[in-house]
Amino acid sequence: MTAYLLRRIGTSIIVLIGISIFIFLLLHEIYPSPARDVLGLRANNAQVAAWNKQYGFDDPVIVQYLRYMKGLLLHGNLGYSYSENQTVASLFAERVARSAYLSFMSLFLAILIALPLGIFQAVKRNSLGDNVATSLAFILYSMPVFFLGIILIQVFAISFPIFNFEASQSTDVWTVIGDWHSMFLPILTLTLLTVANFSRYMRSSSIDVLAQDYIKVARAKGLPERLVRSRHLVRNASLPMITLIGLFLPALLAGNLIIETLFNYQGLGLLFYESLSKADYPVLLAYTLIGAVFVVVGNLVADFALTVADPRIRLA
Amino acid sequence: MSRFGTKRIGGLALAVASITALAACSSSSSSSSSSSTTTTTPGAVTQPGSIGAIPAAGTPSGTAGSITYALSPGAVPNWILPLPTAAANSVYNVFTFEWEMWRPMYFAPAGSTPTVDPALSVANTPVWSNGDKTMTITVKPWKWNTGQTISSKDLLFTFDVIKAAVAASPANWAPYVPGNFPSTITSMSTPNASTIVINLKSPVNPTWMEEDILGAVPILPSFAWSKDSASGPIIDFTNPANATKIFNYLTSQAKSVSTYATNPLWQTVYGPYKLSSFNNTTGAFTLVPNTTYSGPHATPESDFVGVPFTSNTAEWNAVKTGSVDVAYVPQEDVPQIPQLKGLSYNYYGLPFFGDNFVAYNYKDTTGSFNAIASQLYFRQAMQHLEDQAGQIKAYYNGAGDPSYGPIPAYPKSPFLPANAATNPYPFDVNSAISILKANGWTVTPNGTDTCATAGTGPGDCGAGVPVGAKLAFNLIYNTTPPIPQLVEDLASNAKAAGIEIALSGSNFNYMISNYNDAASPANANKWATEDFGGEFNSTYPTQFGFLNTGGSGQIGDYSNPTADSLINASVSGTNPSAVSNEASFFTAQVPVLWQPLTDYIWAWKTNISTTDPSAIENLTQYSATPEYWYLTK
Repeated sequence: MTAYLLRRIGTSIIVLIGISIFIFLLLHEIYPSPARDVLGLRANNAQVAAWNKQYGFDDPVIVQYLRYMKGLLLHGNLGYSYSENQTVASLFAERVARSAYLSFMSLFLAILIALPLGIFQAVKRNSLGDNVATSLAFILYSMPVFFLGIILIQVFAISFPIFNFEASQSTDVWTVIGDWHSMFLPILTLTLLTVANFSRYMRSSSIDVLAQDYIKVARAKGLPERLVRSRHLVRNASLPMITLIGLFLPALLAGNLIIETLFNYQGLGLLFYESLSKADYPVLLAYTLIGAVFVVVGNLVADFALTVADPRIRLA
Repeated sequence: MSRFGTKRIGGLALAVASITALAACSSSSSSSSSSSTTTTTPGAVTQPGSIGAIPAAGTPSGTAGSITYALSPGAVPNWILPLPTAAANSVYNVFTFEWEMWRPMYFAPAGSTPTVDPALSVANTPVWSNGDKTMTITVKPWKWNTGQTISSKDLLFTFDVIKAAVAASPANWAPYVPGNFPSTITSMSTPNASTIVINLKSPVNPTWMEEDILGAVPILPSFAWSKDSASGPIIDFTNPANATKIFNYLTSQAKSVSTYATNPLWQTVYGPYKLSSFNNTTGAFTLVPNTTYSGPHATPESDFVGVPFTSNTAEWNAVKTGSVDVAYVPQEDVPQIPQLKGLSYNYYGLPFFGDNFVAYNYKDTTGSFNAIASQLYFRQAMQHLEDQAGQIKAYYNGAGDPSYGPIPAYPKSPFLPANAATNPYPFDVNSAISILKANGWTVTPNGTDTCATAGTGPGDCGAGVPVGAKLAFNLIYNTTPPIPQLVEDLASNAKAAGIEIALSGSNFNYMISNYNDAASPANANKWATEDFGGEFNSTYPTQFGFLNTGGSGQIGDYSNPTADSLINASVSGTNPSAVSNEASFFTAQVPVLWQPLTDYIWAWKTNISTTDPSAIENLTQYSATPEYWYLTK
């Protein structure tokens, strides 16, 4: 087990180094220096060159990469956004808790709803309940998140003003958590779409498991149906879900862009979008690197979880 | 995005397109934007080119409150020092944030009219002498909120700090044009507590200096800001070394965004408001009335609250729920303008004082395009292919106004030349074809025109255009709507005249850095034409910097001796008509392809009124004078 974990961690580190080099080189090719952002278009080429020299942007790219990584790893320095007039680290710090709350809460609720729903649909396959749930899942799954959000806002915030049309505007995450009146609709929107996705996976996974021989054996041995489901069905059917949830981890960083845009919620997704439109490369570089870390870590966590859920994996 | 000093690259269409509305021309409650006849209620304010109307002043409720003001996505302040650097220079930093606390010496616009508003200006009109080389400025006896009277010493301090800033780097003060003011100051003196005398190296045009240069200069408090550390003493700012230290200190404080509302520096103001709260994550801010403000204002004054939005959809939802008091009408929501009355909002819109254009690259040698673009007849033919009326109707839904030169027809500028009031090159494909045929081109509609007769004589293609040269070139455009629609329409019309335009999408920031002959000379042959949006005009709309040879804001390296002479007259001559003459020349010469302007439409709740309609009109110019706003019964 330990050897397996070390192997996976080692592989992840190598992947991360490769990704960081690739991203840095790519963005450096597009945006070799922020000099023009700082000096403006009226600065002549000599002034730009002088600025680049002063701040090390005329060094070889590999030197710049190593300096960036040193600053990142030793000091948590992600660079400076000249268009936002703040360090990239502070821009992230201001938003990460808000984005994480939105993502985790909707993910948690989605898992809470989708897992039992998928199992129910598999067990009651082709029943009225299964058909209704399947229909709803298809409707939600095929619906663009923007559209669903607009409908919910129109119905529950404008036509029947039960909830706020926008998410909480507080930057204090505890205030945000306590502001259910404002957070209900964005969380609901994200949860509904995730439930539609997860429940379909859970349903098909459960159907597969229900057809396995060990389920038939358990039933043949007279094990009560309740125990068949709780001991054999849930655990085995959840294995694909672990991978799926692991892959959802990067969504903490970027996945909520549309929700943030629609519900007036300053989060990381929106920061990325605005940086893209402003060509704010220091933010884009940091964002992409952190996104890569989340993907790798998400997969790593999923792999670890799978080894716990299914010992055969670590033996293999 | 700026309009200081000279014409600036400002992404006008980018900004306007993202936050400006296209009015429904079919709407019964909307006035036709291009029409000068509008039906309004008695006492209401409207004007040619506008959409909607400003109702007559309402009865004051006598109570103050908070008036919320919508900030469009990404347009939130992040720089407080009222000397914007090149990186921090934006209308949302300057016009609706800094200038609420520190008004410029000469405030513009006056409502929607691009000219100085004397009532809001802290200084009296300069008195010129010594052949327009000496200006004497008297500051009004307005008060700082700390009790001191604004003095000539404060003016001296301001100019010394700016001089130190630009000496360190031209980028330290965005309005600075290298070699110009304040580098042209030879000496300054303060004969009394309210007067400063400034001597310049050479004569300047007084209107240009007042409106474009001093109009960007707020006054800084020498008694509070003349120091180089938070706890340090007041130091002698007339020593250039000290002035540099002061500038560096003030800049360092402006970089601490999270302390804007708590830093004592920023609490010393003379404008109508002072900062009460600032959220550095969202950009939300609250400005509370400066009770000692000496300028005109409503009584009582309400707080001015900037409310940021992450999308136009979110902003429009706020309008539909009545959650914001003063809000822009997003482009995509223009068809819903008729609903505004039912939602208890008034609305009014006009184009911003600037221009949209397609720039030609006079250095692109690909296919001899540099030589082709240099031919006046070619540019005239291209302008004939620009269907402004059709584009306004199709892509702006009627909420826009045509523009035929550097000074748009609307809003009305006192400098508008006669030839820019009507279209000198009306849309007509046949006219374009005739011009090309008359100048040596074999025209192949829906094909590609070729030069048949090289040479410089009448009927020839012109200098540098070889036989066989094709009218085929690229146009790189900003993909922010409605620019793609505008260039597709142009390309379609051009195709009908045998001009083949290859369209290629890009984004604003990339374009202004990479498709710019001065900034990126290596890319000179990669673009023939580009449309990144447009530019904001200064109230004195000279094209200095933009269209003079070697101008610091040049894009495609346009050069014309007559243009240089006219621009020079605008900035250093005494002829009050100089800038009109200049604009007339550029309207006729079409150094860029002029495009129509969209209306910038604002909605405000019916329980908000103003002591002066200019305080609503100027919203269309990205300005805000909320001190005039009040709540009604």
